[in-house]
Amino acid sequence: MQPRDGLTNDIAPNYAGGSFAFDEPRPVSFSRRAAAVVGAWLVPGAGHLLLGRYGRAALFFITITGAFVLGLSLDGRLFWPTAAEPPTAFHFDLITVLWFLAQIGSGLCYLVSYAFGFGTRPHPEAATFEYGNTFMFLAGLLNYLVVHDAFDIAAGRKR
Amino acid sequence: MHVLMMSLYAAIAAVVLAAVDPKSDTTRQRLIHGLKIFGSFLGIGLLLSWVLFPVPW
Repeated sequence: MQPRDGLTNDIAPNYAGGSFAFDEPRPVSFSRRAAAVVGAWLVPGAGHLLLGRYGRAALFFITITGAFVLGLSLDGRLFWPTAAEPPTAFHFDLITVLWFLAQIGSGLCYLVSYAFGFGTRPHPEAATFEYGNTFMFLAGLLNYLVVHDAFDIAAGRKR
Repeated sequence: MHVLMMSLYAAIAAVVLAAVDPKSDTTRQRLIHGLKIFGSFLGIGLLLSWVLFPVPW
């Protein structure tokens, strides 16, 4: 039996049935996969950038960050879990928890805005208040999909 | 204003949903898929607004 080199070891598990395509998607290492997922959450598109999908990375960064900034500029506000009134067994007001979970999906967009105080003072009297909130929810929820997509690429499930 | 915001929302959602679509392999397929999503958002939005217009609350 011939001794195996690194490349043979690497492609051998993917060789099945006598055919092998070099352009088949392949999983990356665990550390790179974790970096892609965490990076994708923190900065929209960063996960795809780490995985070499530059076009999609730019597209996600522009659309998702753009949606969040548009939401802020339309007087949208940042949500965080607040105590329920009157107090309930869950303690938190459920709708604020759900809105927070939607917005925190945009990662650093939310955290940086919170740190600098953008969107922390609600202006419900503004005509565009609800539009702004909706765009910020959209940004966070779409970024969850992008994180999932980055994971799929890193796991070798798609190109 | 509302239609403009709805169109922007639909465009952003369509771009991202088309780009992550696992069934589209080529840019052309993604483009067609994105246009379908964009059209669906606008079409369903306009239809719902027309149906709900007489509702007083």
